[in-house]
Formats: sequence, C-alpha cells, structure tokens
Amino acid sequence: MSTLPATKTDQNQLPVVQQIVSVMWPSFLTASGATIIFFTLFDPIELSMIGGFPGLTRLGGYTIGFFCFWLLTSISCALTCYFRRPMSRQNRPNITTEP
Amino acid sequence: MSQPAAPQNDPTIEPELYKKREKLYTREVHGVFAVLRLSAMAALLGIYYGIPWVNWDGRQAILFDLPARKFHIFGLTFWPQDFFYLSMLLIIAAIALFMFTALAGRLWCGYACPQTVWTEIYMWIERKIEGNSRTQKKRDKGPRNAAFFGTKATKHAAWLLFSLWTGFTFVGYFTPIHELWDSFLSWNLGPWETFWIFFYGFATYGNAGFMREQVCIYMCPYARFQSAMFDHDTLIISYDEKRGNPRGSRKRGTPSSDVNLGDCIDCGLCVQVCPVGIDIRDGLQYQCIGCAACIDVCDDVMDKMGYPKGLVKYTTENALEGKETKIVRPRILVYVGILTFVSAALLYGLLTRVPLEVDIIRDRNVLYTETDEGLVQNVYNLKIINMEARPQRYRLSVSGLEGLKVVGQTEGIEIASGAVKDLPLRVEVDPIELKTSSTEIMFHIESEITPDELSIEEHARFLGPVSR
Repeated sequence: MSTLPATKTDQNQLPVVQQIVSVMWPSFLTASGATIIFFTLFDPIELSMIGGFPGLTRLGGYTIGFFCFWLLTSISCALTCYFRRPMSRQNRPNITTEP
Repeated sequence: MSQPAAPQNDPTIEPELYKKREKLYTREVHGVFAVLRLSAMAALLGIYYGIPWVNWDGRQAILFDLPARKFHIFGLTFWPQDFFYLSMLLIIAAIALFMFTALAGRLWCGYACPQTVWTEIYMWIERKIEGNSRTQKKRDKGPRNAAFFGTKATKHAAWLLFSLWTGFTFVGYFTPIHELWDSFLSWNLGPWETFWIFFYGFATYGNAGFMREQVCIYMCPYARFQSAMFDHDTLIISYDEKRGNPRGSRKRGTPSSDVNLGDCIDCGLCVQVCPVGIDIRDGLQYQCIGCAACIDVCDDVMDKMGYPKGLVKYTTENALEGKETKIVRPRILVYVGILTFVSAALLYGLLTRVPLEVDIIRDRNVLYTETDEGLVQNVYNLKIINMEARPQRYRLSVSGLEGLKVVGQTEGIEIASGAVKDLPLRVEVDPIELKTSSTEIMFHIESEITPDELSIEEHARFLGPVSR
C-alpha cells in the first residue's frame, strides 16, 4: 500500500485504510465460497495424509484451508489494486530526465 | 445534522464513494415499526442463541458437524454428497430475497439482516450504559476524565462479552455445544475452537459496534444491486413532498394553511433517528435500509401537531404519482414461478432421497484372475455409507452376467448410523459367459429391514478374457 500523497494524475487514490479494506473484504467473500466448495469435495484428513501432516484435525484443516484461500484471493485483489494505479506515478522522475 | 461534509483533509478523494465518517448518534424511536423491528430482532436473536442448545433424538437438533463431515438438521443427516440440496436451498433463498425486494423494497435490510439486528442490540447496550444519543454526544465532546473512560470501558466490556458469547454460539453450530461448554468450563477448549470464537467475536464487535451503517453502504454486495429489483410498484419509504413542503416551524396545533406552510415542521427528528444518517426528505437514496424509523418518529410528531399521520410513509412510486399500485405483475409472477419450481424440486428430492450410498472401487492391481476351477474372478472394494439416523442391515446381489457368483459377505451386513463400511468382494463367472473383455454388471444393495424403501443399484465393470 502506497502512502504517497494523491496527485492530479491519480485522483482516485483511496486512503490507506480503505485500500486495505478493499483488498481484504472481497477476498474474504470469495475465500469463504471457495472453502465451502473445496472442502465439500475433499476431506481435509485425507489431504493431510497425502501432504504429510498426519496429526491435523479436520477443524484445523478447514481453518488452514480457509486462510490459504484468503491469502491467495487477497494477493490477486492486491495485484488488481496495484496494476490499476497509473503508470505515470512510478515513472514520473524518468520522464523528466528523458530528452 | 449528521450529513458529513466533503472530506476536509483531502479534496481529491472521490466524495461519493468513500467519505470520512462521522459517528452517528442515532436517536431511539418508538412506534409501530419499531415494535415490529424489535420483535423481529428478538425472535432472530432468540433463534440464533437458542437453537444450538436444543436437542432432538438425543442429538443436537441443528449441528453442522464439520469435524465429522455431517450436517444434522433435526431428523435428517446430510453428507458432503448431499451438497446438491444445499445449493438448491441457496437458490431458493436468493430468489425469495429478490421477490421480497421487488414487493416491499429492502425488507431484509430493515428487519432481518444480521448486520441490522446486531447493530440494533449493540446500540441498545450502548444506550443502557452511555445514556441516550444526546448524552452520548455530549460525553464524546466533553473532557476525557475518569467518568468518561469508566463509561466507555464498561460499554466495551459489555460489547466484548456479548461478542464472545456470539462467537461461542457460532462455533456451537459446528461442534456440539454442550461439549464445547463443558470444555470451556474446564478451561480446556481446543486451539481451533478458541481461534474461531475469537475471530467471529471480533468480527461481531467490529461490525456491530463500529462499522455499523458503513457495512451496508460500502461492503454489502446486496445493497449494490438491490435497486435493480425495484419498479414503480415496489414498496418504498417516502416523504410526501407535495404535502410537506414548504417546510417550517410553527406553534403546536397551528393549521398549516394559517402559516402558508406544508405539514413538515422541519423538526429534523427523521434525520436524527436514521441509522444510516440520511435525510429521507431528499428522496429515495441508496443508503436507505428501509428500517422505517423515520415513519415512526414523524407519525408521532404529526400526532402532536394534530395533523394526519403518514407524511413519511410506506408507499410506491405509482401511488405517489396518484396511479394505482399493482401487487401482481409479471416480475412477481416470474419470481413466484421459479420459487415454486425450485422448492418443489427440493421437496421431491428430499422425499425420494435414499439415505444409502455405495461406492464401488475395482481392485487396480490385477485386472482379473483365474481360479482353480477355471472361473474368472474380479475383486471389488465396496464402500457402503449408512446415511440414516438408525443402524441398518443390508444384503446385496450382483446381476448382469449368467451364473455370477459372489464370494464374500452378501447378507446381514450391519452398519451403524452414519458409519462407513469397507467390504471387499470377489465376483466370479464362467469365462464362457463373457462376450467382451469388459462387461457391465450391477450391484444391487437393499435393506433387510425395509427392502421396499431402501435399495440402490450401482454399476461396475467386470473384466476378463474373451472366450473363443
């Protein structure tokens, strides 16, 4: 999350807290859905056997699964936020030095 | 009053999308709709906190037993294989929501949404400890003394306790709540249970204590698209502009015609009671959750002034324009049609559901073997799941080829309720009967107790050499 002040070139820059929320909240929603569907199809105990964590309980499996999904979905949300920022912001100093 | 001005610190922020929030001091309201809303709230909270403690047939009546991968809903037990029913249920819920939105606007938001219900109860706790909205506002503007921090600490302690109880109840839907309570009393909660109690409790505390109307305005997906279901016959809460304007204050009991004003006395109470901080007199706004608090408070004021009620009221756009309001219209009929169809399909599915599941897995190591008697033998592993709430005894038979012989247990297969049995079987046949190298055979499994009601068939492949 950038804390650079908003400029004329990127007027839609949101405050940092709202940027964080706009990444964490949609990813939370999709991660919840993904967790439900994924664990309907696969039993965490069987997965943990394959993965080599024999001591894991089902509840633990669901929890870890949910947070892995949340991590993944929040990464893609964050990337969307990152890529939608105008190029000019990072590249501004170069533009002025070029002939 | 509480309409926040454009953000002070950064004028470049898009003012409509996210604005700097000012805390709302929502005034308490009494009246017909407040009674309705509070009754709905009491009923829903009662269900939420009460249901996990109810037992049915010696088991928790509603238990989404995640550790055992089984859902118990009263007498029924659902398995992951029954996911189909859950998706049907979700479709029904979604269509019902659309239908009620088209009929009566944001009924769900105003009366039944967990966000509304928990915000309401958290505001109630806040009022009990901090006093009414005016006292609260005065305290927040006043000095930060011991009394200030004492009151705030009490409120947060009460909120936190209630949040943790909410989190505990939530986990109680997924692990047996009586056991959970015992392990809590003996200070012996499992790590994952503890984590989820705190996680859910924290979410409740944040959403109902702090986020409140911001959840509806910024975070709720439904709030974004609900207006797509609206038409001119949808019930909305609206201020009667023709009757109310021009607004202005006057002495109690003065007829509006005497002062050349409309019926609105501009007391601002409708704004003070609004949980999302809008002025209903500005027209229908996307923030309005349809809680009808402004109707209650305005009716009260109209009574005191000696004017007829209903300056702010439930109405439709057609009614406001003096046209007729139609309840039965194509949009509603379509919703009702889909709803009836899906509900009937779900009901049919539930009624004809066979609580028995068999998975047949062929032995993958050997395609087939030949026995000493010259028969071709295939090995299968049957996984039989008794999804019924009582123990069962099954028998099985195999068909599809002349003279099929089953070696293994075929009768008196006893399986406890909700248990899975692995049953290895060998099936033999004279190779003379095999026309192709792979033949489809049929396993037929039925209950020995109620064979008419409980029987299923599963296909499997029988492999062997082709004769000749």
